[in-house]
Amino acid sequence: MKELVLIFISTVLINNFVLTYFLGVCPFLGVSGRLSSAIGMGFSVIFVMTFASSIAWLVYHLILVKLNLIFLEYIVFILVIASLVQIVEMFVRKYSPPLYRALGIYLPLITTNCAILGCALFMVAKNYNFLEAVIYGFSAGLGFTIVLLIMAGIREELTYCQVPKVFRGAPITLITAGLLALCFMGFSGLIRA
Amino acid sequence: MGSRSFKEGLWTNHPIFRQLLGMCPTLAVTTTVLNGISMGLAVIFVLFFSSLVVSLLRKVVPYQVRIAVYTIIIATFVTIVDIFLKANFPQVSKALGPYVPLIIVNCIILGRCEAFASKNKLSLALLDALGMGVGFFWGLVALASVREILGQGTILGYRILPPSFNPLVVMILPPGAFLVLGSLVAIMNRLERVK
Amino acid sequence: MKDSLRYNLRVIFVLTFASLICGFVLSFVFNSAKAKIKENEKKDIYRAIYQIVDNCKNVKEKRINEETVYYLFKEKDELIGYAYLSQGQGYQGKIKILFAVDKSIERLLGIEIIESVETPGLGSRINEEDFKNQFKNLKTNVPVECVKFSPQKENQVQAITSATISSRAVVSILNKGIQSLKSLVKEDGK
Repeated sequence: MKELVLIFISTVLINNFVLTYFLGVCPFLGVSGRLSSAIGMGFSVIFVMTFASSIAWLVYHLILVKLNLIFLEYIVFILVIASLVQIVEMFVRKYSPPLYRALGIYLPLITTNCAILGCALFMVAKNYNFLEAVIYGFSAGLGFTIVLLIMAGIREELTYCQVPKVFRGAPITLITAGLLALCFMGFSGLIRA
Repeated sequence: MGSRSFKEGLWTNHPIFRQLLGMCPTLAVTTTVLNGISMGLAVIFVLFFSSLVVSLLRKVVPYQVRIAVYTIIIATFVTIVDIFLKANFPQVSKALGPYVPLIIVNCIILGRCEAFASKNKLSLALLDALGMGVGFFWGLVALASVREILGQGTILGYRILPPSFNPLVVMILPPGAFLVLGSLVAIMNRLERVK
Repeated sequence: MKDSLRYNLRVIFVLTFASLICGFVLSFVFNSAKAKIKENEKKDIYRAIYQIVDNCKNVKEKRINEETVYYLFKEKDELIGYAYLSQGQGYQGKIKILFAVDKSIERLLGIEIIESVETPGLGSRINEEDFKNQFKNLKTNVPVECVKFSPQKENQVQAITSATISSRAVVSILNKGIQSLKSLVKEDGK
């Protein structure tokens, strides 16, 4: 239990996927312009990431390791993620139209979100058991969402600021992200190794 | 036409500074110039050969599954790079760690395969891939140089600033990556405006 | 109807064919490089062993309970100690440490970092001699401790400034490794 809580806290706050591993920076910069789209993207990522991490664990330990095919790891993971996203999309469209309206347009974008593949790869590298892998996927997604929401909030305010012309758009967003990363470094003292 | 698609990637449509693509490796591995160079070369290799195969197969692959096929092709070349590094340059492979497999989801590669190589003939696709690849390469080296010089006072491991210089450690840490990249994009914007 | 079936078949065919070719190419590449990758890992470990224990002339690997213990010998096959590879989580990623102990497993002979991806300039300084040399001759009957300031008591090492997490990780991986080495050697002696 203690292990799981530690994984949760360290993945959400200390080793945040976006701010320390730079995973998922592209969607982070892309959809953080408005709070409403950030919410949609964030929840889709939590959803897919939890599933992706668990299924990648099963595939890796029950198929690839058993058959001694570890060198196919990358190609298999990316296919698992791509098919998973498709299945989730079809499933949500069929059984929950309101959810589909909220998340639908973000789902296809997730396949190329490096955070999902990164999550699967890190989960394998850290040698987690199944339960830990599920928690890891969920907390990585949650960490992504929290940072995305904070960023979207800041950027909505930024539109009212007088930013020097050359810094408008991407530069100021990157610098804001840098300051946010600096703030999150404060969490690194939270857990003593 | 040919030389234009090459120049696009090098400057006017630079993958990092103009299109903000491939952010994950750009920010993550540029802590030292050596890492930047190795990542840049790996991306050039994968981009070149994926574009080659995708352009050759452009009439064979059914539209609906094109992304899946491109991804498989890219993943194959990335695995080849990974195995090659592990076998011949174990130090580089350890330093880049999980960011080698993450080249698969680098949006530059899938983006160029989908937007350019799948619609153009072989020679053009290769020129475009080279342009984008070399553009990405110099972007990484530029970012890494700033970070290594300010953060450690060295370049490629050689000390160039006097020992009395107190390194700005934050440049090596994750926040520094965002701050330096933001400033470089701003400088690019400025240069573009002067033109 | 017939057309859509034909299209589906074509999709399935292309996907299967693409995966098959890629899998084939990869297995070929992997098999040609496999020996070299293994050899690289082994080379790193042996280099580290000879660096730590300079009077070591011969090393024998022994598999005990699926783990490898390195038996270190002087001339005339005189056992001088053991070496063991221990790994665990650092600040950014995995850290692999090779350490050597004397033949009674009472004193550490030293450690080498085989693999680490800590922050350059900070955590990566665990690779520096000043840090690694602190571990020479420490006792192994009590756990090694990591402190922020210069050590006051026995069996303490000083953490690297502003890289306490990486330093602590090294120490805890080492302590864990010493315990497993002890039980493995005991198992082997039975």
